[in-house]
Amino acid sequence: MSTIKKVPQYCYQCVAGPDFLTVKVEDGVATEIEPNFALADVHPGGGKSCVKAYGLVQKTYNPNRLLTPMKRTNPKKGRDEDPGFVRISWDEALGMVGGKLKEIQAKGLHDPLGYARVAASFGGGGTPTYYMGTFPAFLSAWGAVDFSFGSGQGVKCTHSEHLYGELWHRGFTVAADTPTTNYILSFGGNPEASAGVMGITRHADARARGAKRVQIEPHLSVTGACSAEWVPIRPKTDPAFMYGLIHAMLHEMPRERLDIEFLTNHTGSPYLVAPNGYFLRDLVSHKPLMWDLKRGAAVPFDTPDIEPALEGSFTASGIEIGADDEEWQHEEIEVDTAFSLLVKQMAEYTPEWAEEICQVPDGCIRRIADEFVSHAQVGDTIEIDGEILPLRPVAVILGKTVNNGWGGYECCWGRTLLACLVGALEVPGGTLGTTVRLNRPATTRQASVIGGPDGFMQYPMNATDKENWQEAPTARNAHSTLVPLSANSPWSQALGPTHLAWMFRKESPENWPAVSAPDLWFVYRTNPAISFWDTKAITERIAEFPFIVSFCYIPDETNYMADVLLPECTDFESTQLIRVGGTKFIESFWDHEGVALRQPAIKPLGETRDFTDIATELAARAGILDKYNNAINRGAAGVPLRGGNYDFSLDIEQSHGAEQIWDAMCRAASAELTDGAETDGLDWYKEHGIRTRPISRLIWYLFPELRKKGLRFEMPYQEQLYRVGKQLGNRLHEKGIEWWNEQLKEYEPLPPWKDFPGIWEQATVNSGGALEDYPFWLLTSRSMQLAWGSNSSIQMIDEVAKNMHGHRAVVMNTGRAAEMGIADGDLVEIKSTLRSTKGRVALKQGIRPDTILIQGQFDHWVTPFSKDNPAPSMNTVVPMSLALTDSTGSSADIVRVAVHRLEGKA
Amino acid sequence: MSRIEPWHQLNWDWRAAGNFIGGGSGTGLLILAAVAAGQGTAYWPLGFFGAILVGIGLVCVWLEIGRPWRALHVFYHPQTSWMTREAFVSALLLPVALLAAAAAAPFIHLPAIAGGAIWLAALLAALYLYCQARILHGSKGIPAWRHPSLMPVIILTGLTEGAGFLVLAIALIGGFSVWPLILLFILLLGRWMSWRRYLANLTETGAPNKALAVLNGATPMINILGHYGPAILMLLALVTGSLGPIFFALAGLAAIAGGWQMKFVVVARAAFNQGFALPLTPVRGTGKPGPGDKPGWNKSGQ
Amino acid sequence: MTRYVMIADLRRCVGCQTCTAACKHANATPPGVQWRQVLDMETGTYPQVQRTFVPVGCMHCADPPCESVCPSTATKIRDDGIVEIDYDLCIGCGYCAVACPYQARHIVHKRDLAYDKQAMAHEEARFDEGRMSVAMKCNFCQSRIDTAKQTGQTPGVDPEVTPACVNSCIADALHFGDRDDPNSNVSVLLAENQTFRMHEELGTDPGFYYIWDKNE
Repeated sequence: MSTIKKVPQYCYQCVAGPDFLTVKVEDGVATEIEPNFALADVHPGGGKSCVKAYGLVQKTYNPNRLLTPMKRTNPKKGRDEDPGFVRISWDEALGMVGGKLKEIQAKGLHDPLGYARVAASFGGGGTPTYYMGTFPAFLSAWGAVDFSFGSGQGVKCTHSEHLYGELWHRGFTVAADTPTTNYILSFGGNPEASAGVMGITRHADARARGAKRVQIEPHLSVTGACSAEWVPIRPKTDPAFMYGLIHAMLHEMPRERLDIEFLTNHTGSPYLVAPNGYFLRDLVSHKPLMWDLKRGAAVPFDTPDIEPALEGSFTASGIEIGADDEEWQHEEIEVDTAFSLLVKQMAEYTPEWAEEICQVPDGCIRRIADEFVSHAQVGDTIEIDGEILPLRPVAVILGKTVNNGWGGYECCWGRTLLACLVGALEVPGGTLGTTVRLNRPATTRQASVIGGPDGFMQYPMNATDKENWQEAPTARNAHSTLVPLSANSPWSQALGPTHLAWMFRKESPENWPAVSAPDLWFVYRTNPAISFWDTKAITERIAEFPFIVSFCYIPDETNYMADVLLPECTDFESTQLIRVGGTKFIESFWDHEGVALRQPAIKPLGETRDFTDIATELAARAGILDKYNNAINRGAAGVPLRGGNYDFSLDIEQSHGAEQIWDAMCRAASAELTDGAETDGLDWYKEHGIRTRPISRLIWYLFPELRKKGLRFEMPYQEQLYRVGKQLGNRLHEKGIEWWNEQLKEYEPLPPWKDFPGIWEQATVNSGGALEDYPFWLLTSRSMQLAWGSNSSIQMIDEVAKNMHGHRAVVMNTGRAAEMGIADGDLVEIKSTLRSTKGRVALKQGIRPDTILIQGQFDHWVTPFSKDNPAPSMNTVVPMSLALTDSTGSSADIVRVAVHRLEGKA
Repeated sequence: MSRIEPWHQLNWDWRAAGNFIGGGSGTGLLILAAVAAGQGTAYWPLGFFGAILVGIGLVCVWLEIGRPWRALHVFYHPQTSWMTREAFVSALLLPVALLAAAAAAPFIHLPAIAGGAIWLAALLAALYLYCQARILHGSKGIPAWRHPSLMPVIILTGLTEGAGFLVLAIALIGGFSVWPLILLFILLLGRWMSWRRYLANLTETGAPNKALAVLNGATPMINILGHYGPAILMLLALVTGSLGPIFFALAGLAAIAGGWQMKFVVVARAAFNQGFALPLTPVRGTGKPGPGDKPGWNKSGQ
Repeated sequence: MTRYVMIADLRRCVGCQTCTAACKHANATPPGVQWRQVLDMETGTYPQVQRTFVPVGCMHCADPPCESVCPSTATKIRDDGIVEIDYDLCIGCGYCAVACPYQARHIVHKRDLAYDKQAMAHEEARFDEGRMSVAMKCNFCQSRIDTAKQTGQTPGVDPEVTPACVNSCIADALHFGDRDDPNSNVSVLLAENQTFRMHEELGTDPGFYYIWDKNE
C-alpha cells in the first residue's frame, strides 16, 4: 500500500519570493511540486511557485550531491590544483572548524589591519538566510564578521537603485504599483524574468485590463516581448532618454499638466538655492528657506500657513552652509528655487539632443512624454482604507545595467523625478519602493520614515565630516569609508563596493591600507568564482584564502578551493520558519503578514545535516553556545522567542535540536501574530504551512506617512549629496587619495548628462584596444529559469530553459550577422580586451545590430552537468576596474567586444 | 532552443522507406507479372520475387515499430487506418502471390490456378500500392507527404519499378519483346511528369523550405538515374544489337534505382514536419496585433 | 455533450516554462520529452519585432489525424473530447506521430536519465515500462478529469481535477474547461475574446484556443 502526502513548503530561491508550494511524497520519495492552493488567498501569487521550484526534486536527488563531510588533502589551491577531497566524519569536520574558530578567538576577532578574521559570503540577494536555519544567530553571537567579499553585488544587482532608492523613498528596489497603474515606462526592467510569481501575475493582470508598458532596452527581452512597445535604445544612454522626456514635460507642455501641488508641497522643489549650490537657510535656525507668495518673503520651509513659490528668482537673505561647515552669509541676493534650477538645467536636453545620443527618434520621445503625462490623471484621487490619496497611474521602472554603474545615479534620479513631476511617487498607481534594507528600523518602510532637519526623511549616511569619517576601513570593501550612501545597517557591507575587497586584496591603491585574507571564510549558496566580473581574477584571490568552510550541496568552482565541505540538508530536508508578507524585495506587495514554514518532506540524504544543527554544533565547539542561544532568543534567526505576554526562550546553557528550536520559534510566532492568544507549535505549522493576519494596503505607499509627518521627498535638488561628496573629497584628498576623484564628480545636486557609453569605450581604449576592433556592446539579461538558485546544474531546468531562444548562446542581430557571414548556430569567439569566451550564435531580429547578449553565468569548470554543457559567459570577459566603478561602488554588466566566427560547432 | 520551423520527423527512418521501396517495387512487379503472363511471358520468378520484395518491406516495418510483438494489433482499425488496410491486403497478397508463382513454376505447374491467381495477386498488389500512397497522404503532419500530388508519384513509381524489374528479368532470362520497353518508357514518362507535377504543386501550395530544398536538390539525380538514364539506355539497347540485353538490364536497374532514390528522399530526407505558425501576434496591453508568421515555409498562411 | 478544451491567453504568457516543468512533474516524462511546451516565437524584422510565447502540445482535435491513422485503435477520442492513448494497445509504429501536425507525439525507445550516472530516487519510483516504445502525449491529465466524475468537481475550476499545466501557470494564461457548457469559464473567455487555433486550415478542429485580444 503506497503512502502519498503533500507537504507544504516555501520557495525563496530568489529575491522575488517567497512563494508557496507542496511537495508530493510517495512512499518517502519526493516526486512532484504543485501549487499550494490552500494559501491562494494569502499569497499574492495565488499559492503558486515559478519554474525554479520545480527543479528542487532533481536538486534533492542529484546524484552529484555531496552527502558526507569532506576535507581537502592538497594544501595548494587553484583552478589547476585537484583539492583531493576525502570523506571525514562530522565530528572531525566540525572539530576542524571549531578548532579554527577557537584559534581565532585566542588571537582576537580582528586582525592587525583591523579587519574581521572571519568572513562570510552568501549569494542571492540575502535569500540564503531563508535556508541557513539559525546560522544568522551563530554569526550574531560570534560578533565580528566581514560580509564584504561579494559574489556579484554591484555589477549584477540593481545597485544604485538600492542606495538612491532608499535615500529618496525607502525603496531598496523600486516597482510599479502594477495593480493600479495604466502606463509603465520600463528602462530595461525585466519583471517577467525577475519579479517572480507575484510580479508576473500582477503585470499579466495589468496587460489584460489594457495597461500599456513601453519597454526601452537594446534587446527584446521577455519583458519587452510582453510590452505594448519596444524602443531599441543604444546601451547606457537611458539618462539621455529620460532627460529628453523631462525636457518635453518642463519646456514643451503647459505647466499645469504637471502636479504642481505635489511638487510644491511634497518635494524640495520650492527650496531656494544659494550661489554656491547649497540651500539658502535661515540665519538663526539654519532651516532651508522657501519663498512665501503670501508674505512676499523667504521663510523657513516649515513656517505654517505659507504659499511656497514653486519657481522663480527671488531676492532674499540668509546663510549658506557648505561642506565641512563652510558658511556664506548672503544679503539680498538673487536666488532661484530648486525647481527653477532644474528647469534651466533641462533646457538643453531637447528630444532632438536625446535622439543624437540614444538613437531613438525625437518624435518617439515626445510622444512617450505626452502619453506619460496624459495617463497620470493629475488631480484624481482614490480612497484606500478610508484615506484619500492621489491616484497617479503612471510608473517608471529600471533594470539591471541601467540602474547600476556609471549612469545609475542619473537614471535613478531621472526615474524618481519623472514620478515627482506628475505626483506619481509613492501613491496609488505610481512608482513605489518595495522594502528597506539600509534604513532603520527595517520592520516596515513606514517605521523607517524619520524626519530630518531639512524637512526630508533622515538618511543614515556614513559620516564624511572630519571627526567621524571612518579613515581606516573595518570592512574589506571599505563601504563606510568610500560610499556614504551605503549606510551602516547589517546589509551595508554586502551592499558596498564588494568587488573592491577582491581588487584591493591583490593590490591596494595609493595611500590605502592593505587588505588581508580572512582567517576563515564561510560560503553558502554562492559561487563568486563564476558569478562575478573578471572571474579568473576572483578565483585567484579565493585560492589565497587560508581556510574556507563551504556549506555545500554539490561540488562547484568556489568550494573547489574549500578546506572543509559541510553538506547541509537541502530545501526539502530541513526546517525553518521565516517571516512573510508586507512588502518585500521585488514587486512583492501583500495584503497579509505572518510566518511560513519549510519542513523536512523526506528523510535527509546521506549524512547531510540540518543547517540549524550545524550552527548549534559550531556554536558549542566555538564556546559561544550561550551567546548563540541568546541571539536566537532575541530573534536573530527570525522571530524573538520572548514577547509582552509570552516567553518561549531557550535555556542558553544547553544545546537544542533543530525541532526544539523551531518549535519554540513557531510558538513565539503564533503568539506574536495573535497577541498571545495562540501558541501553536511546529506540528501545527507542519500541517498548515503558514500563519498570517491581514494588513492594510496603505503600507504599500509611503506618501501617507510623509504627509502625516509633514515631510517632503528629497527631490529634485541633491544638496545633501552635494555636500557629502565635497566632504568625502576633502577627507580623501587629506589622505592623499586621488584615485576616487572621478567618483567624487558624481556628487552633483542636479546631475548633468555625461557620455556614459564613452566611459566603457574609454576603458577599452585604455586597456589597449582600438574601438573599431571591438564594435559590439555585450550585455546580459536574466532568465526566469536560470536567474538565482544555482540551477544551471539541474537537468530539468536546463531542458525547459532551452525552449527559450538564446539559452546557452550568444544572441546576435540577424542582419548584422549576415553581413559578417555568421549563421545561426555558428561558433563564435567573443573577445574583450581582457580575454575571450566562445559560444554558439542564436540569431534574432529583436536585438540592436551593435549589441550582442549572453544570458546566464555559465563559466563552470567544476559544477557537474553545467561544466559538460558548454556555454559562453560574459563574466569571463568583463574587466573589473576602478575606472568602471561609480561613486556608489557599482558597475554594470557591459563591455565592448569583438565577434569572430570560429570553424566548427560548439 | 525550442524548434519553431519545421524540422525533420524522427519517427520513420530508412526502415519506413524500405517498406515503400519494397512494397512499391514488389507490387509493381506483381502487376507487371500478371501483364507479362497475359503476354505469354514466364512470370513465376517475377511473382515470387515480387512477393519477396513486399515481404522485405514488411519486415522493415516490423523492425521499426516499437512493440514488434504486438504487431497483430495493426489489424484493429480498418475503418479509417490505411496502415491497417495495408496490413489486411498484405495478409492476402503474400499467400496469393506466392501461390500464383508456385502454381506457375515449372516444377509444380498448375496452370488452372496460376492464371487466376496471378491476376488476383495483381489486383491485391494494386490495392496494396494504393494503400501505401494513402498512408503517406494520411500523414498530415508531413507537408511533403500529405500532398495529394504525391499519390500518383507513389503509384507510378511502383509500376515503373515493376516494369524495370520486368525488363531486367527479360534481359537476364531472354525472350525479348517490345511491349515491356514501350510500357517502361510510358511509365517513365508518367513518373517523370508526376514528379514534376508534385514538385510544382507542392511549391505552389506551400511547404517547408527545407523539404523543398531536399526535393529540388535531389531531382537532378532522380531524373538522371530514374528517367533520362533509362530512356537513353533503352535507346542504346535498341541501336547496339548484341549489347542490347546489357543495356536493357541497365535501363531496368536505373528505372528501379531512380524510384528507390525518389522514395528514400521523400520518406527519409524530405519529411519535414509542419512546424509552428502564428496567424497574428497578441495585443499586449494596448495597440493592435502584429502580423503573423509561418517560419520556415516558402509561403505563409498555408 | 462535453468538449474539454484549453485556452492560452497569449497576452498573458511570459514563456516562463513553469507549465512545461509542472507537466514534466505531473506526468513523469523522461528527459527531452515535453508534453507541454512554450515556444519562443519571433516575428517581424528589426526594429519592428514581436516576440510571442506560445504554449503547445496535443491540441485534442475533434478530427484528429492521429486517431484516424492509428492502426491499433490505441488512440481514441473520448466522449469528452480528450484524445487518449491506450499504451497497452499501441504498437509504436509512429504513424500517429507523422500524422500529427502539432508535433505533439513522442516515442522513446531507450530509457534516458536526467544524469547519466544513475536513476534518481524519483526517476526510479516513477519509471513506467509500459510507456517505452509507444506513443505518448498530453492527455489533459485525464485521470484528474476522470476523478471529477466521481467527486462532482469541475475541471478547470477545481485544482484537483484540472490539468497540472493550468494549475501551475503563474500568469493565469492557461485555462481549461468544457466548451460545450455555455456558462463554463472557457466559454465565457471564448465569448469575450478573439481567438485563433493553430494550423486551423488543416481542418483538424483543434481543442486548443489562443486568445490574442479582447472583443472589439
